[in-house]
Amino acid sequence: MSQTSSSIQIFAVAMPFFFLAGCSESGFESSFVYSDRTLSLMNEAQNGVGDNPGVKELVDQRFGTPQSLKAWQKIPVDFGGTMASLATSPEAGSTVKELTLSFDSSVAVPTTLSVIQFVSGDCAGEVAEVLKWSPETATATLVNALSATPASGDSMSLGGGENLKAGRVLYQRHCSHCHGTSGDGNGPTAEYLYPRPRDYRHGVFKFTSTNDLSKVSREDLSRVLRQGIPGTYMPSFLLLEDVEIHQLVEYVRFLAIRGEFERKLASELSSDFSNSAVQDRVKSGESRNEIVASLSEFMTEDLPDSLSYISDDLAESWHAANEEDALVVPSVPRVPNTLESRRRGRELYLSKTLNCADCHGISGQGNGPQTTIYEKNPSTNELYPEPGLHDVWDNVNQPRNLTQGIYRGGRRPIDLFCRINAGIKGSRMPSFKNVPHEDVWHIVNYVLSIPFEVEPGAAAAAEETEPGK
Amino acid sequence: MKKFWALFFIFWPLVALYVCWIAPERNWWFPGEAKSPIGVRIEGLFYLILAIVTVVFIGTQIALGYVLWKGATKSEEKRAYFSHGSHSLELIWTIVPAFVLVFIALYQMDVWAEYRVQSFYPEATKEDGSAAELMARQFEWRIRYAAPGKQLTDEPVDGDLYWVNEVHVATSVPVKMNLRTQDVQHAFFAPQLRLKQDAVPGLIIPVWFEIPEAGDYDLVCAELCGWGHYKMRAKIVAESKPSLNQYLLELQASQNEDGFREPPEVN
Repeated sequence: MSQTSSSIQIFAVAMPFFFLAGCSESGFESSFVYSDRTLSLMNEAQNGVGDNPGVKELVDQRFGTPQSLKAWQKIPVDFGGTMASLATSPEAGSTVKELTLSFDSSVAVPTTLSVIQFVSGDCAGEVAEVLKWSPETATATLVNALSATPASGDSMSLGGGENLKAGRVLYQRHCSHCHGTSGDGNGPTAEYLYPRPRDYRHGVFKFTSTNDLSKVSREDLSRVLRQGIPGTYMPSFLLLEDVEIHQLVEYVRFLAIRGEFERKLASELSSDFSNSAVQDRVKSGESRNEIVASLSEFMTEDLPDSLSYISDDLAESWHAANEEDALVVPSVPRVPNTLESRRRGRELYLSKTLNCADCHGISGQGNGPQTTIYEKNPSTNELYPEPGLHDVWDNVNQPRNLTQGIYRGGRRPIDLFCRINAGIKGSRMPSFKNVPHEDVWHIVNYVLSIPFEVEPGAAAAAEETEPGK
Repeated sequence: MKKFWALFFIFWPLVALYVCWIAPERNWWFPGEAKSPIGVRIEGLFYLILAIVTVVFIGTQIALGYVLWKGATKSEEKRAYFSHGSHSLELIWTIVPAFVLVFIALYQMDVWAEYRVQSFYPEATKEDGSAAELMARQFEWRIRYAAPGKQLTDEPVDGDLYWVNEVHVATSVPVKMNLRTQDVQHAFFAPQLRLKQDAVPGLIIPVWFEIPEAGDYDLVCAELCGWGHYKMRAKIVAESKPSLNQYLLELQASQNEDGFREPPEVN
């Protein structure tokens, strides 16, 4: 898995990418798999019709393959590397072998430099090997002359994509055997695990410190990497270096955004152009050629707008999750963990309005009546084969047994507060954001006392004990 | 050619002997010096056994070399003869090893007792109780401490402190820990401390050690526990008592974090 032969290659202009090649010398080619949703589309929608690329190509253009990842600059992933721009404007038509660069004042000038990739201007996409680099004068001498003449202000990336390349290597070593090369939660060891490893491609992560409408933040992902998820097979990777955690987080974000992009793109097409929709349309009298023609028209006229809408939305939401505004912040400090508070918590827990017991059970064992119902699969409209609540990954979503003292998303009071206030994303734990924060703290106090109850409700009724010190 | 094979089989034991001889001083056998007093004594036992098997090895190899050489130089004309063996020889090679084994069994007894028999544990570990619970599970080590000022109980109580894959202990005092497992068998293995102990489902097994020198020490799983066995690594952080207390207070504060932020004061 050595990355020594990695090089940064061509692509650019409207959607600046870097090509990040690597790993090819090992002879083992891994690939990203396409989602079921993509594969359920009619052939032309998957693979393109006429000049219009299909879903597969549209995704690959932006994200590449594991062997040659692409850094699509639009998405909020810290790909690594330094951006610079050309300081001097060489004479038009001259052969350029020496470049003087300028850096933003906020950027540290790299001390070593081996390749430059142009991102804009006439040389956009060109990758130039650097023979000599002097950081003092910011002058790079190139091995070969450039094919075109760049102009002052052309931007370029120095050592771009380092984080993503390193993240991929770490991911393959530590994560992919469960989470799969594509982040589909379907690696070779996945089938032995309960609960199943997370499928990132929905772009949904359960345990976040962000509000109910926001994505997962970088901080949340690195917290899970460091501390693991007790009660599941996700172990702690505490002994990894901080920089390794950062690179893994960025790579996981990359995979999640890739998956979500593909999913949303396929959804645009699936109502009219999935295999089953096409069958229905053929039955109702349309010919296959007509359908392909309408697909072609849709791809030419509507899809470009959808594409920019999807990518704008992804860029915005994945970025916004890291902003201060997205965090769940209690408006009042934790209510002292007193008997009175726990009693109030239990009342709320059992109340008709919150109805926690409907799923978690009267004694908190995760065995409420909802766990015995048969649900409809929202995408197929058929009943699931097993009883119980189902999450967005179509797995049975067992309500947490609160008596065990195992808290998957963390055991700090703020963690439990977030679980209640923002819900558990992708699962059937809803957001109770309209519940006054003080009441949420009462419930937190009660829930934290459940593992130590002699019998249900006893902790809320027992004599006052020392608050949780 | 027969002589070549005789010499060939005599040569390799000599190489093995040389390697055994220089192994201790070159640290080929152990990862550095033993970092705990009990580890030093356990290491002493390893070296005692190394010395005994080296002597036995030399003896048997000399005998093997002698027989090979004798066979190689014997005239082709001479007929082989079959013997039913020697009763006194058999007595010797049964009784001598038996004495060696009994000697090892008696000699190691006090180290074994001190490491494994709870009534022989250092007084300090009996008075202070266990410093932490090490809960092994596939594939990590979950740590539980009592709240500062409290004694660790066998089962979790309200206020316990939790962390994962990093256990902090005080230096220069005997420290006892409760070793448990949540799923399959695991084994506590601290190579620099020379300690190893299986964790068995359903049991709470105490392990104790003393680390004189502050620093980070490896803790790995030494019982093949599943596909992720290799990633079951943690570290033992040995630090002075005051900084350990500080660590526990910080852990307690972070575990009680309620995320509330004082609104900025308006002037």
